[in-house]
Amino acid sequence: MAANTEALNKAWKTIVDFLSPGGRPILEVSFPEIQFQSAVDILVQNGIVNIIEDWFFENVQRDIRQRVAPNFWNYYTSTACQGASEWSDNLLKAVQFLHQVSEEYKPSLQRLESISSGTHPKNSLQTFCGVQKLSDVLITLFKAIIFAQVPNGYQEGLDHFYSEAFKVFNDTNSDNKGGGNEEVERQCDGCGENTEVCRCAQIMDRFHTVNRLLDEVGILEEVSGTSATALVHEKIQQHVEAQCKGRFETSFLESLENWLDTKVLGWLNLIYTGNRTHIGADCISSFRGRLQHFLYKTYAQVQINEFFKIIIDFPESAPAVQDLKACLEKTDMRAQLISTLRSSIETRLLHPGVNTSDILTAYISAIRALRVLDPAGVILELVCDPVRKYLRCRDDTVRCIVSSLTDDGSSELLDELIKGQPLVLDESGHSDDEDEDWEKWNPDPVDADPATASKSRRASDIISMLVNIYGSKELFVNEYRTLLADRILTNFNYEIGREIRYLEHLKLRFGESQLHYCEVMLKDVADSKRINARIKEEKAQRNEQDVVEVNSMILSAQFWPAFREEKITLPEEMQKLLEAYTKKFEALKGNRTLQWKSHLGLMNIDIELKDRTINFKVSPVHAAIIMQFQEKNKWTVEELSKTLQMPATALRRKIAYWQSQGLLKEESNDTFVLVEDHRGHTHDYLMTEDDETESAMASTQAQKEEEYQIYWSYIVGMLTNLESLPIERIHSMLRMFTMQGASTMECTIQELKQFLDRKVKEQQLMYSGGVYRLPK
Amino acid sequence: MNQGWTAVATWHWVANDENCGICRMAFDGCCPDCKLPGDDCPLVWGECSHCFHIHCIVKWLNSQQVHQLCPMCRQDWKFKE
Ligand SMILES: [Zn+2]
Ligand SMILES: [Zn+2]
Ligand SMILES: [Zn+2]
Repeated sequence: MAANTEALNKAWKTIVDFLSPGGRPILEVSFPEIQFQSAVDILVQNGIVNIIEDWFFENVQRDIRQRVAPNFWNYYTSTACQGASEWSDNLLKAVQFLHQVSEEYKPSLQRLESISSGTHPKNSLQTFCGVQKLSDVLITLFKAIIFAQVPNGYQEGLDHFYSEAFKVFNDTNSDNKGGGNEEVERQCDGCGENTEVCRCAQIMDRFHTVNRLLDEVGILEEVSGTSATALVHEKIQQHVEAQCKGRFETSFLESLENWLDTKVLGWLNLIYTGNRTHIGADCISSFRGRLQHFLYKTYAQVQINEFFKIIIDFPESAPAVQDLKACLEKTDMRAQLISTLRSSIETRLLHPGVNTSDILTAYISAIRALRVLDPAGVILELVCDPVRKYLRCRDDTVRCIVSSLTDDGSSELLDELIKGQPLVLDESGHSDDEDEDWEKWNPDPVDADPATASKSRRASDIISMLVNIYGSKELFVNEYRTLLADRILTNFNYEIGREIRYLEHLKLRFGESQLHYCEVMLKDVADSKRINARIKEEKAQRNEQDVVEVNSMILSAQFWPAFREEKITLPEEMQKLLEAYTKKFEALKGNRTLQWKSHLGLMNIDIELKDRTINFKVSPVHAAIIMQFQEKNKWTVEELSKTLQMPATALRRKIAYWQSQGLLKEESNDTFVLVEDHRGHTHDYLMTEDDETESAMASTQAQKEEEYQIYWSYIVGMLTNLESLPIERIHSMLRMFTMQGASTMECTIQELKQFLDRKVKEQQLMYSGGVYRLPK
Repeated sequence: MNQGWTAVATWHWVANDENCGICRMAFDGCCPDCKLPGDDCPLVWGECSHCFHIHCIVKWLNSQQVHQLCPMCRQDWKFKE
């Protein structure tokens, strides 16, 4: 037993000597391998060969912890506050030291490997590290012990080391070297030093050495990975922003990928390829995959931030939309696009400062662009929902849509109209037997609203989408009817070929029955033209001739929208002209007569002044007023109001027009005279705008007015019973009353206050001490 | 001649009622079978002085088997010349 113990002790000592790094120099022993092997055999015979590895790696761990790691970090910490260049030099020294340690361990590891190969189960540490070779255990221990705790500034130093080299690399491989600028030429773009003391070669030399040594130790990826990735990400970000930001008319995907493959991967190759022992061939290709994803993501991010502009610029921005579409297929940025676009639409479009027509234009652009981006229509639905809700609240939306549909100017919508597909409305039910080709079927994206049929989402054309803002054709058709009426009664153009063509398009869209009223209206114009011609013909046969030729626009009252009413009694000579026309009409059309809308129409009159005759095209009301002044050149408002049976306020507005034309002058308060002599006269009144654009139809304002009259009766009732009330009470009580009644109008406190203030001004209401009351 | 006036009027049937006694639609509109008012859907008067859309009274008369009576006053219907 004792002899055995002694042999064992001797063998163990031999093994310790051989395996200790930097221990007994191996060359001093003769036949060292035989000596080592027989020592191992003794341990094998005693069944304790396993303790060799356990002992070895325990020693190694201690060595790394106590000697290697402190020494390694000492290279940095001793000169922490020195410049970046010194830091890089220190990195080189530290790496050289670690490399040397690693080399010293190599022979021992080889021996150990030869003992353990195949004969016994894997060492527990080997299993723990998940590695096959014992040399990998050493690498794992390096990583785990040395890099478990890194000193301050280490990552920044590494970042600088790699970015410095990248700059040199980029400069050396730059396509456009040198410029005309002298100063630039004197300074090296690579290292930033004066060209005479350029350090580029030195930097690259150090760079290659560090990478090679790190690879030989087996920790290249561990040390360089974070810095290289961060650096490359930063470069991608900069490049994408510089190249693509704000440019939507070019596709960038191809050139970006090209750039990634040449520049970025070229740089990574410099670190990770070329005689590397520990870096696999798949390193670069897996880098490429990750970076490509990052590139797409970065590019998508840049375009998503600008997507509102992209939409506004569509279709010029189509390349950007296509690029983004490709990016969305490869990244998970759909949700982000939707939320970003929604919020930029909200802040830039949906507020009171933006014209309804501009919102509509943007909405139409959005429909077009988003259809390209996402043919399933889901993004469109999600993004444009707030736009639709907002447009629904504006009172002039329908009018804007209808007028852009039928105006000369905007051909875009007109083109859509002429495409002439029948309207697809949300309300129309969707059948089960959709005649879609099942082979081409695609599921809806996951963020689609299951409540909406995918077919209706896809089939909707722009006009349908606009009409669907309201979901009702009637509203649209009514608005069109009002616009058409207005146009007929403002232009008095009997040539309606163009209107008929529009109407035909609209009929295809909205259905015949919806537009029947408009058809009658246009027929009225055509009939009026014929009747005018007949009457003129008869007059010619009888050789009759009037000073003023009367033509008429004879309307079928049941089919036209409500007319704006205005009180006036025309002067007798004007009345007579109309009566004469009525007689001729009655003779032509048995059992029918005419009711004149005296205030509507257009007069072309000559006004004879002392020194000249001026021609005007004005409303009959304006004409009637100025004609009074031709008979008597001074009138008070009161006199005129009596003669023409017109309210004074309306009269003053009409007089204002003649003042603006310089024909009437307010001589003293409410007394007007005709200005016969024009010389040296300056206009003393500016034309009021509403005189020019006054519509023939009852306005929504007038309709609102009617609603207010209903409110007024409620208010009078309240104040009779409760004597005095603050505005808040009046408002809440009104809401209570009107909720039960037929009125659906929403009235804000602000609007109510305006109305009440007007009543105060008209002395129908009193306001004091914060409460309203009826005058006694 | 320079001066002219384009005046605006609405046309109406000269009748002693607003609506047709048969279809209840406005005389100035048209009967339920028609699309266009006026010449295309004229009024006719009976000797009893009642009047109807021509299409309405003709339909009515065709539906009467024995006597042809005015639906308003039940007198014999005769078209006024
Ligand atoms: Zn009838
Ligand atoms: Zn008829
Ligand atoms: Zn009768």
